[in-house]
Amino acid sequence: MSDYQSRVRPGALLLFRRLRVPMLVLIAVYAVAIFGFTLVPGVDDEGNPWRMSFFHAFYFVSFLGTTIGLGEIPYAFSDYQRMWALVAIYSTVVAWLYGIGALLSVIQDPLFKKLVSEASFAREVARIREPFVVLCGYGDAGTLIARELAENNIGVVVIDSDSARIDAIETDGLPVDVPALHGHAGLPKSLLTAGVQSPYCMATLALTGDDATNLAITQNAKLLNPNGTTVCVAHNHEHQAAMARVGAAHIVNPYDAFAERLRMTVLTPSMHVIYEALTTQAVTPKELQLDVPTGRWLVVGYGRFGKTVRRHLLESGNQVHVICNDRVDELGDDQTVGEALDAEVMRRAGVENAVGLVCATSTDSHVLGVTGLAREINPGIYTVVRQNSRLNTPLFRELEPNIATLSGYMVAGEVLRVIRAPQLSYFLRLSRHETEEWAANLLAEMRERIGGHVAESWSLTIDQISAPALVKRMRKGQVFDLGLLMTAPDNKELRLRAVALLLQSGDHKQLWPGDDTTIKEGDCILFCGRDIAQRRMNLTLRDGSVLDYLRGVQRVV
Amino acid sequence: MSYDKILFAVVIVLALTLNADFVYGDPEIIAYHNKYVLFFALVISLMATVLKFGERSLLGSTMLATSLVADVQLIGAALTWAYLSVDGDTVSAADSVTIVSLAVGALVANVVSVILLVIETASLRR
Repeated sequence: MSDYQSRVRPGALLLFRRLRVPMLVLIAVYAVAIFGFTLVPGVDDEGNPWRMSFFHAFYFVSFLGTTIGLGEIPYAFSDYQRMWALVAIYSTVVAWLYGIGALLSVIQDPLFKKLVSEASFAREVARIREPFVVLCGYGDAGTLIARELAENNIGVVVIDSDSARIDAIETDGLPVDVPALHGHAGLPKSLLTAGVQSPYCMATLALTGDDATNLAITQNAKLLNPNGTTVCVAHNHEHQAAMARVGAAHIVNPYDAFAERLRMTVLTPSMHVIYEALTTQAVTPKELQLDVPTGRWLVVGYGRFGKTVRRHLLESGNQVHVICNDRVDELGDDQTVGEALDAEVMRRAGVENAVGLVCATSTDSHVLGVTGLAREINPGIYTVVRQNSRLNTPLFRELEPNIATLSGYMVAGEVLRVIRAPQLSYFLRLSRHETEEWAANLLAEMRERIGGHVAESWSLTIDQISAPALVKRMRKGQVFDLGLLMTAPDNKELRLRAVALLLQSGDHKQLWPGDDTTIKEGDCILFCGRDIAQRRMNLTLRDGSVLDYLRGVQRVV
Repeated sequence: MSYDKILFAVVIVLALTLNADFVYGDPEIIAYHNKYVLFFALVISLMATVLKFGERSLLGSTMLATSLVADVQLIGAALTWAYLSVDGDTVSAADSVTIVSLAVGALVANVVSVILLVIETASLRR
């Protein structure tokens, strides 16, 4: 029964229900008019008494209501018939006006429009025959992710509770059609309509601004499609445990992500360059240098963002002083209570001898004001600001802070990385614990191999599909090491312009594996390098004769 | 008790009774069958159809279907009659049976419709 109901078009039901009364009125008026004409006495052309048959009455009334005036047929009317014709004309015209008016008002009805757009959304989603992602929440992060995915030919389906954002999708000019549903993404019905159970659904992204909603989306998506990946945004640490419990594959906390990046720039600047090169399109390992100073930092605002940044700054060996409006006991003497826009408060907090300022309050005008003031007092101060709204980007561009972060961008970057290259996420997470020396060596290696070219990263799984020739020989008992893959397929003396970053063998993960590492079937390797290196490596993987040639060389050496 | 339900039941039962009124009598003699009764049987049947529009349940859809069948049969009977009596021709016994038998088909559909109405009413627990 429920299955039957789900197939009924709600829009059509509503239309029929609203049009019931107008249709009844129309039928009744026609019936009375036709019936009347069969009763009213008339005369035929020879003067004999005559009454219309139902056939003639129906014919006359049919054109009477719609056109008024094909004449009196088949014989000229008697006065009685004309009287009845007057009644029939006015009543049928009014009935038609009423009926058409009702039809138009139903079509314009917001509820009807909503039902029709939902139905067309469901049809569009059902027609998708390519991998797609369900994106819940079309805010700053959602907008960026939708654009990136669309440009990479991955389908996007959007759910948002704000109709203005749904309208924005049409004007954003995305390169592909994005079906969008106006509704609450936390409801299972919305997710089902958006196609989470479709075999083509790759992932569900919970990107709304509300943690509780994100949790509900994650849980529902996981229950409805246990095989699907879910990525969830959390703004509070308290919710992350629950999100992990209900099956979120990745949890993105924009504040943590930013704070960790900041810490990375302070502790392991080489790692930061690698990170940027791998995650930002069109940045090469050679460019980009950030020198974040170490020493005494000021943090303005002690919310979720401020707290996280302070913790990471402390862990990376800085002193942190906080300026906040209300006294916080856990901070002890490392705080100045007052309004940061007040120069007096700033001086008391010691802005003159601070190396850096982090402004993490939740209004952009306040952030801009505080940063300007701090620069006025201490022109050399390193400024890190939190931008709250994408609309204020022109202002922040004028301000030129050393680092500006918009949580939407942070989220978008993290989520895209997770979807595009999950291995890259692992690599970046593991390498955070490495020392600066390790990172500097890796960076030197990357610079030597890749040079001034844009670094692409890609994953390779050693299996029948991506490496048929290699797997065939492995099954025969031959042993291969990573160095073989890194050799140019057409010249044994040359190396490919690529670096292996991570080798995953079962649960074992090895960072920056050496050339002598043995590779096995089922291993998953993350490379970075020039895109041409990936294409050339494919030759080795697929062509047995290339493999034999390279192995021959190895045996000699 | 709601007036909507009463009106609904009245229209559906009336469609059946008017249909039966028309059919009653020797099918070979058209004079035993009143054209006004056929007209109103058709009008009421159309109204019953409209009243059943937009029902969500499976039972409601089946009722709508029976009404549509009755409409088609009655319109068929009316058109046949109109066609056979064009230009004042008299309706023969064989033609008369055709017209009445079409209406009998509608009667069957209307009986099913009333049975469904009774089932729906009986299945409602108050």
